[in-house]
Amino acid sequence: MTLLSVRDLQAGYGKVQVLFNGHIDVEPGELVGIVGPNGAGKSTFLGTLAGSVRASSGSIEFDGASIKGRNPEDIVRLGLAMVPEGRAIFTDLTVNENLRLGLTGRREKSGAQQAVDEVMDLFPVLTTHKNHQAGLLSGGQQQQLAIARALVSEPKLLLLDEPSLGLSPTVIQDVFGVLARIQERGTAIIVVEQRAHLVMSIAVRTLVMREGHIRATLSQSDAQDEAKLAAAYFGTGEDRE
Amino acid sequence: MIQTILDALSYGGLYGLAALGIGLVFGVMRLVNFAHGELIAIGAYLFIVTIDLGLPLSILIAVTGTAILALLMEFSVFKRLRLAGPAVLLIASFGVSVFLQRFYEIIFGALPLSGQIAPWMTGVMEFGDTTITRGSIVTIILALILLGGMWFFIEKTTLGLQIRAASSDFQTARLLGVRSNRVIGAAFVFSGVLAAAVAFVLVTQRGSVDPLFGVNITILALVGTVIGGLGSLQGAALGGFAVGATISLLNSFLGNYRVYTYTWLFILVIIVLLVRPGGLISNKAVKERV
Repeated sequence: MTLLSVRDLQAGYGKVQVLFNGHIDVEPGELVGIVGPNGAGKSTFLGTLAGSVRASSGSIEFDGASIKGRNPEDIVRLGLAMVPEGRAIFTDLTVNENLRLGLTGRREKSGAQQAVDEVMDLFPVLTTHKNHQAGLLSGGQQQQLAIARALVSEPKLLLLDEPSLGLSPTVIQDVFGVLARIQERGTAIIVVEQRAHLVMSIAVRTLVMREGHIRATLSQSDAQDEAKLAAAYFGTGEDRE
Repeated sequence: MIQTILDALSYGGLYGLAALGIGLVFGVMRLVNFAHGELIAIGAYLFIVTIDLGLPLSILIAVTGTAILALLMEFSVFKRLRLAGPAVLLIASFGVSVFLQRFYEIIFGALPLSGQIAPWMTGVMEFGDTTITRGSIVTIILALILLGGMWFFIEKTTLGLQIRAASSDFQTARLLGVRSNRVIGAAFVFSGVLAAAVAFVLVTQRGSVDPLFGVNITILALVGTVIGGLGSLQGAALGGFAVGATISLLNSFLGNYRVYTYTWLFILVIIVLLVRPGGLISNKAVKERV
């Protein structure tokens, strides 16, 4: 059964529409990318799925239920967790307290400690710093904490908004390496990125957004085809959809 | 001298409680609630009209009643305005404040309503040459218990953690599953409980209550939350304490010139804000509420 199925999704802020006819299908355990330039509507698309941006029309089916118009706090309990752009960790709280907040979104309250232990295995550096203020962590460690905090709710689908933002190339490789391990656990992932090559190298397929529309769907092999990628990304050629 | 210090601690504790009540609601809603004064006033009215039932029952009724009114404010007015801008919320809280003042006038009358709540608090204790008012001691103990209790609640409980997170970044807190109605409701309830505590001390000291009973302390407690750092709960308590203690010390040291107490207070406030515009404990992440 398809885990996430989105059709004709429209969303925006006030009277300004930012997302037009958004659509996406994600199967359980799949990693799907969304790329596009600044202002393409990528974050709005993710925010609409997570419930932090209101959809004006269209449908969002997640795990067999409609989640359109539901609150973020309900959606996370259904198994859809989001790591917002800029990490959005609580810098005044400790690493441990940030993780405790992540547990709020669990469907099952039992097994919480096991979930935390598993996440600590995935990000061992957090164990060392668990009683430290999160604001004292490096950028890469903060990104790991943001992902770990979302993972302790044991989501079926993880949304990541620009996980490479502000990180050095080495740290980016580490973060993206962890995504493959998360996927191995059976968690589906949608990654929004501006670095098209980076996400296309790990995604089963990548949607290209421009000006609020999904303009193309590219496969992993398309990452090698610079002309096709540039055409989809900048709109210099015919759109593929 | 000892009495001066105790008075400063007592005033500081009282204003700290008032400022923390305001800071709790501001933290989760970005609402500067001017109607907090009317929560203090209803607490005082309830103490006076129920004191014949005995102090323990009177405390129970006043605290419960004040907390219920705080929740009613949230459900009937502020919940409907969560998507409105800060200016709309501010004006709405003025509206609630004025409405409740007139409502109290209709129910209890415009003239002060008198009553003795805890006469044992108005006496003095003598230690050799030193005389200490019981009210100062009781207020300090009450403030310590309540501020300590609030610290424990905010720092050590899950709901407290959620309130801290929501005060820092409500959108992200919601994405993690923090229920907005629950934390905002809890903030209003605790704000009401703190208002009732302030009402108890004030009405014991003054012996009467009128519709404008809570206005003065609310304005000064608001100043305290700004000095402490808007959005920071520790900052609110600290700022409120600083304002209350400063008022008390100025009253003592200015003697016959105490008419200038507030002039000096606001000069000091301006100096503090010039040096630390974000307040004593600034919250860098004062973001949009839900």
